[in-house]
Amino acid sequence: MFPQNLGSETNIKLPFSFILFSLAALVFSQFMLLIDGQLIANGSFRIPPIWSVAHLLILGWALMVAMGAMYQLVPVAFLTKIWNEKFGFIQFFVTAAGITSFSSMLYLSPHYAMIPGILTLVGILMFLFQMMMTLKTQKSPNILTAFVGSALICLLLTIGLGLTLLYMMNAGTGSEYYTSIFKSHLLLGLAGWFTLLIFGFSYKMVPMFSLSHGYPMTQARYVYGMYITGLLITLISFFNGQYFLFITGFLLLFIGFSTFSWHISIIIKKRMKKKLDKPFLFALVAIGFGNLIHLTALILLLIRQFENLAGPIIYTYILLWIVLSIVGYLYKIVPFLWWTHKYSKDIGKTKVPTLKEMMNEKIISPILFLFIVNVFIVFFAIIFKQTIFFTIGQFLLSITFIIFAISIVNVLRK
Amino acid sequence: MCLEDKILEALKSVYDPELSINVVDLGLIYQINISDEKDVTINMTLTTPGCPLHNSITSGVRHCVEAIEEVKNVKVNLVWQPAWSPDKMTDEGRRALSR
Repeated sequence: MFPQNLGSETNIKLPFSFILFSLAALVFSQFMLLIDGQLIANGSFRIPPIWSVAHLLILGWALMVAMGAMYQLVPVAFLTKIWNEKFGFIQFFVTAAGITSFSSMLYLSPHYAMIPGILTLVGILMFLFQMMMTLKTQKSPNILTAFVGSALICLLLTIGLGLTLLYMMNAGTGSEYYTSIFKSHLLLGLAGWFTLLIFGFSYKMVPMFSLSHGYPMTQARYVYGMYITGLLITLISFFNGQYFLFITGFLLLFIGFSTFSWHISIIIKKRMKKKLDKPFLFALVAIGFGNLIHLTALILLLIRQFENLAGPIIYTYILLWIVLSIVGYLYKIVPFLWWTHKYSKDIGKTKVPTLKEMMNEKIISPILFLFIVNVFIVFFAIIFKQTIFFTIGQFLLSITFIIFAISIVNVLRK
Repeated sequence: MCLEDKILEALKSVYDPELSINVVDLGLIYQINISDEKDVTINMTLTTPGCPLHNSITSGVRHCVEAIEEVKNVKVNLVWQPAWSPDKMTDEGRRALSR
């Protein structure tokens, strides 16, 4: 069905396997949220159905799509081939089986989630090994290597901490450290792995999609330094309980993120392509949301209200920063992959469509606009514990996600 | 029309599918060498190193020139020096980007 690998390009079957699995996980997680969602509206986050949905959304959708995107983008950003594609396919099957069984077991019987959790860990470790071997062959490492390499280390730590939590729950030990480890698991998974990864690849994709030239890269070092230090200080504060350190950590995370936003705006100002594509614009809007969420979290911490609103803040961080960024870039990556499969051999021989023509751009703005509105409905419903609004918002959000998944799959019909 | 002009004209049908601008107006074609035996060597670049479309675009350039009757063999060299910059675009390319 797919062409063989052309030179240094990745065999597109590999990223596609991850992306298609992620779309299925996304749709399924939305149906589960519709069934058990009222529990969130009532303020119950640490319960098995929510663990299951959260892991299906974060691991099944966001992690799998990030892995698929990395198989595609690492050769582009680091000018190196994927170390072993066959190993990549085995890694896909192990990880997909692990995440599916892990999410199911969290829902049905969390005490038995350890074994599928280990299978997921094996899949992720295989991915980390693959990336380590690939990045090792990069001729001259740069700041992008630092972002992506640190993101991969955060992913490893997140999984390690997650399994520690499962072990503690099963063995009934270490309860005094449970909350600190749980918070570290969230911080490293969301702000460590995803944010550092999006930062790193944005530095390649933003100039590429806007055709920017002659921009400075010095700011990227400050972004990296600030954000990494912020992560470390926040982690320390989780274990020693010093509120001042907690605030300092969040302040550095906010400064790091703001520097990133400012740097991206400099790059965008240097662009040659005046009219930016809609999906890419939404990926840029996600940066604005990410910045706003960091600021809100810092303010809430200063007025000692963060603990009360941590759930809704984390929810918006996942949806409006991580998911919106991924969705925006996915609308660029999937058409490219399909175009390469279907038309790359015809270029120069017959007229071939442009990447823009591979998707229905008119539908993208309404989908992503609705997505943002629905996230806000759910956000306020959680804050004010309005079950009806939550159900309406979540229902609309799930529908939006399903339309999004269909619109991505529709690219494969072009 | 000389062969080099014919090649350049033909190359205007090879588009960068992301930017929707042909490789000539985008300033990607650096040099066209034609031997007495009508063997053609093209030195070209891309807008960014690691461009995921590099195999597609370079193959497209080769296929397109191979289709010209007088041409015997075609070789496409992808070069990174000098690096591509916006000033290498034609006026038409710039206009297309600002639309």
